[in-house]
Amino acid sequence: MAKISSVAGQDLRDMFSAATSWLEKSAADIDALNVFPVPDGDTGTNMMLTMRSTMEEAYRAPDHSASGVAHAMAKGALMGARGNSGVILSQIWRGLAQGLEGKESFNAAELADALQKSAAIAYKGVSNPVEGTMLTVMKDAAKEAKDQVEQGQEDIVTVLEATVNAAGDSVANTPRLLKVLKDAGVVDAGGQGLYTLLEGALRYLKGETELMRLRKPQIIVSELPLSVPLPQTVGVEEVPYGYCTEFLLKGEELEPEDIRKRLESKGESLIVVGDESAIRIHIHTLSPGTVIQFATKLGTLHQVSIRNMDEQHQDFLEMQKERMPTTDTAVIAVASGEGLIEVFGSLGAAAVIPGGQTMNPSTKDILQAVESTFTDNVIILPNNKNIILTANQVQSLTQKKIKIVPTKTIPQGVVALLAFDYEADFKANAEIMEKALSSVRTIEITRSIRATKLNGLKIRRKQPIGLLDDDLVAVGETDLDVINKILAKLDLDKSEVITIYYGADTEANEAEEISASITEQYPQLQVEVIKGGQPHYNYIISVE
Amino acid sequence: MTVKIVTDTLSDITSDLAAELGITVVPLYVRFGEEIFRDRVEITSEEFYSRLVNVTKLPSTTQPTPNDFAQVYKELARETDEILVIVVSGKLSGTYQSATQAKEYVKGKCRIEIVDSLTVAMAEGLIVISAAKAIKEGANLAQVADMARRAAPRSHLIAYFDTLKYLAKGGRIGKAQGLLGPLLSIKPILTVRDGEMAPLTRVRSLSAGLDYFYNLVKGFSNIEGLAVEHATTPDVADKLVERLGAIYPKDRIYRSVISPVIGTYAGPNALALTILEAEKK
Repeated sequence: MAKISSVAGQDLRDMFSAATSWLEKSAADIDALNVFPVPDGDTGTNMMLTMRSTMEEAYRAPDHSASGVAHAMAKGALMGARGNSGVILSQIWRGLAQGLEGKESFNAAELADALQKSAAIAYKGVSNPVEGTMLTVMKDAAKEAKDQVEQGQEDIVTVLEATVNAAGDSVANTPRLLKVLKDAGVVDAGGQGLYTLLEGALRYLKGETELMRLRKPQIIVSELPLSVPLPQTVGVEEVPYGYCTEFLLKGEELEPEDIRKRLESKGESLIVVGDESAIRIHIHTLSPGTVIQFATKLGTLHQVSIRNMDEQHQDFLEMQKERMPTTDTAVIAVASGEGLIEVFGSLGAAAVIPGGQTMNPSTKDILQAVESTFTDNVIILPNNKNIILTANQVQSLTQKKIKIVPTKTIPQGVVALLAFDYEADFKANAEIMEKALSSVRTIEITRSIRATKLNGLKIRRKQPIGLLDDDLVAVGETDLDVINKILAKLDLDKSEVITIYYGADTEANEAEEISASITEQYPQLQVEVIKGGQPHYNYIISVE
Repeated sequence: MTVKIVTDTLSDITSDLAAELGITVVPLYVRFGEEIFRDRVEITSEEFYSRLVNVTKLPSTTQPTPNDFAQVYKELARETDEILVIVVSGKLSGTYQSATQAKEYVKGKCRIEIVDSLTVAMAEGLIVISAAKAIKEGANLAQVADMARRAAPRSHLIAYFDTLKYLAKGGRIGKAQGLLGPLLSIKPILTVRDGEMAPLTRVRSLSAGLDYFYNLVKGFSNIEGLAVEHATTPDVADKLVERLGAIYPKDRIYRSVISPVIGTYAGPNALALTILEAEKK
């Protein structure tokens, strides 16, 4: 890979814009991690909204230098900061802007310096910094960047890669530092959000934009075993949290330090950041009125938000409860393509691991998904014959009980998941699901990667070919031609439903044409078309 | 004097069967917007379903008033001094409350026992039928009430929904909520568990649903009562009865129509199967 020795303002903007989209994909997962300072489940969303405001300002900025972009980001973040994590994030950008002050572009050493500034300013913004949060993650990441530069590393990608890895390790370590995380068996949500952002920026720099489109950020799994089961630990104590009070104070000659001192005794999680003309204040207080009254004497208030955190917390608990499976068994599946991932999610899979043909997930990927579920029993649907083996490795690495239903195709995975019986136990369910596999046939349409002779078929390079239950059985001039040849081989008298999942490189109208053609030939069948978005296969068709 | 039985219209006991067994059925109220009907008195099942498919806001059911029950109790107290009331699950309707409150309006020595069936539709109905038979064989109020209470957990309702549309419109409905939002067209199969609707599994076609019903009945070794109910497709339900005839005497399978409280969420084309397991000796 080409080395990058310097990054200009435009790239800085684009890399964090990509990082924002990356973060957006896992905002909901990060919300679910949120237990500190208040388990209200909005950290991911708050960080994402803060980043949106950050990037909008960055794109509006007239100055395209690195310094100009970083300052605009800091301003956008301050104006749009949401929640604790958002405000801390705004301080990280403020530190970055100070570090890049006056620079047209920056090299590895300058980036490392700026990250140091980010960490320092982020700590300063919080009245009583707590370790095991995104502050720690920022500090550890910045330290690694500095170490890399001191070892003489000049390539920004290498430095950032090491920085991201250090941030990941730091996130995984957060439960050791903060008991509430350990008790809940999660990593810090803000730390995870920051890691995801840095990772997104790195992936962009490495040119992995295509991959970013297909994949989803991984949530880091707490390294420590759960000390107590989750449902018992999340918010059983009935401590009143009071009101989360946030606003932007605009005025002249404002003094952040002074204001902080005045508010310190008024509540928890106090953050006061900004400059003499605009200050963002965030506090968890039992008497928001006093805080607001005090602030109105200093200037004008904007974006005032006062939320009852006990209520937020209740909503959060409700949300957690609804996610709880009705049984003691969770099902996780492997699939690639946004549509297919959503299909599995919508049918109740507790987690979907991105992967499939030519993108086999690692044992670790599957293990992470297994550990992320709320139950002790997990059924895995590999949906690919090459992944069944990998999935089999997982049992030796986890305390949880694992069963693999050996699904070799996506349609098999779907029928298995549908057959899940909400009242059956773990073992019975694995049996019921495996039994369901015989009720479906799978047709897959792809392109031959080379000219060959196989199973008595003469195939040209790039010619449409069709697989029936993983065996190559047909070749033709068009996708429809191949599909028709395979359907003709099947006894469709007993079939009822045909589902067509079309791939990432296939147009919706082509899929509709194929659907219409099948309906015309086999009017008794119900044909459904779904955007699977899978790579490689133009069509995956299930015949039930 | 023999014990008299009272139930509600949600038990899906047909009027013919009620007459034959000497059961009094108290109607619930079905409300479509501003219009209120007494279930199966002022609105037939056919009318209910044909209205259901045309409304944007789902109808609701309201329990009978205490007075509705009190009138029935008073009427029956003229000919008996023992009344057994078997009602729909208290988690699905407030009928149990009304039936209980009504006791206070009845003076005299007539004793009234109220049993929560913990279920609905013919799963409730089969308990009622079973109680009626016990009374014919000479059981007194205490015996038959005890019998009905013991039967409640053995009575199963399994419903096939042709669409999730009505379930989704109805909002929160216990754990069945988890079935909503699939990206594929599916037909859910639900049950009533602990008095509330709960998911069982999902199929993709009517015939897969019928297979599920068939295999389920086959799995029971000792069945005391069996019923098949339809919403708008009596022909499909009749065919299911024919098929079940291979494993259970066809002429002993009760047929009825799914009541509004399930029907509101199930919508047209739904089917229900209810099984009363025999008590283990």
